[in-house]
Amino acid sequence: MNQPERLQAKIDAYLGQLRVSLGELPPDEVNEILQEIRGHILERSQANGELTDEKLVSILNALGSPDQIGPLYQGDAILARARSSFSPRVVMRGIHRWGTTSILGFVLFVLGVVGYALGGSLFLAGLFKLVSPSQIGAWVGPHTVFDIGAHTDPAARDVLGWWLVPIGLFGGAGIFVATTRALRWTLRFAKSQRPTRP
Amino acid sequence: MTQNSRQAASDNWETQLRKGWLELAILANLWEEKLYGLDIIRRLQTQSDLLLAEGTIYPILSRLKRDGLVDSNWVESQSGHPRKYYWLTVAGRRRAVAMARYASEFLSRIDPLIAPMLQKEKP
Repeated sequence: MNQPERLQAKIDAYLGQLRVSLGELPPDEVNEILQEIRGHILERSQANGELTDEKLVSILNALGSPDQIGPLYQGDAILARARSSFSPRVVMRGIHRWGTTSILGFVLFVLGVVGYALGGSLFLAGLFKLVSPSQIGAWVGPHTVFDIGAHTDPAARDVLGWWLVPIGLFGGAGIFVATTRALRWTLRFAKSQRPTRP
Repeated sequence: MTQNSRQAASDNWETQLRKGWLELAILANLWEEKLYGLDIIRRLQTQSDLLLAEGTIYPILSRLKRDGLVDSNWVESQSGHPRKYYWLTVAGRRRAVAMARYASEFLSRIDPLIAPMLQKEKP
C-alpha cells in the first residue's frame, strides 16, 4: 500500500468508527455528518503542504475521537426525536438520556416506568379477564384490600366483574397514552424554558 | 479526594463553562455572514480558547439547525469537495441577541464580585 492509499485508509477507518458511534441516527443524517467531517479532514489535509502520516494523526487528534463526537450527535438527536414522537419507546429513550444528566430527568424516568407499568398491567388485566374470567378480577377480601390480577385469596370476591374488561382496556390504554403525553410535554416544556444564558 | 479526581472535577467545571459560552460564540460568528464548519473553528481558535476538540463544533451546529436557530446548504468549493454553509435564521438572530444581552449583564454583575479575588492574587 503506497502512502496516499495508506492515508486514505486511515481517514476511512476514522469515518468508519464515527459511523458506528453515530448508532441509530437515520442513514441520511449519518451520511451528511460523515460528508461534513470528511470535508473537514480533507481541507485540513490540503493546508500547509504535503499530507504525511504525522500530519494526518495530528488532524484527527485535533478533531477528537469518534467515540467522543458520535454521542454528542446522538444525545441531541434522541432528545429531539423524543419531543416529537408518540412512541413510548422513543420518548422513554429520550427521558432516559435526560435522566443521565439531570435529577429531574431521572425522576421523570422513574415516573415514566411506573406509568407504563400501571397502564400496561391494567390493560393486560382487562384483556385476560376475557380469556380467564374466573381467575382474573378486582379482588377484595379479608386478606386483600384491593388487588387487580390473578385470583390468590379464596375468600376474596371480584368487585368489578365484567366491568374490568372496559375499565382495564380503556383505563390501561388511557394511562399509557397519558404517560406518553405527559413525558413528551415535560420534555418540550423543559426545552422551551431553556434559558438564554450561555 | 485523589489527585486524579480533583483534576477531573476541575476539568469538568471548565468544560461546562466553555460549553455554555461556545453556543453564543458560534451564533455571534454567524451574525454577519454565512460560514462553514471549519471557517467557524478557525475563527474561534483565533478569537478565544473556547474550543477544545474541533469535532465538537459539528454536533452543536447540528443541534442549532434542529432547533431552527441556523439553516444550512451544501455549496461546491474549489477545494474539490462541497462545504456545508450555515447562517442564522430569524429565530437564531433573536436567540443570539437574547444570549448576548444576558451574557453582558451577567458579566457586568459578576465582575465586582470576582474582582477582589483577582486583586488578591496579584503579587
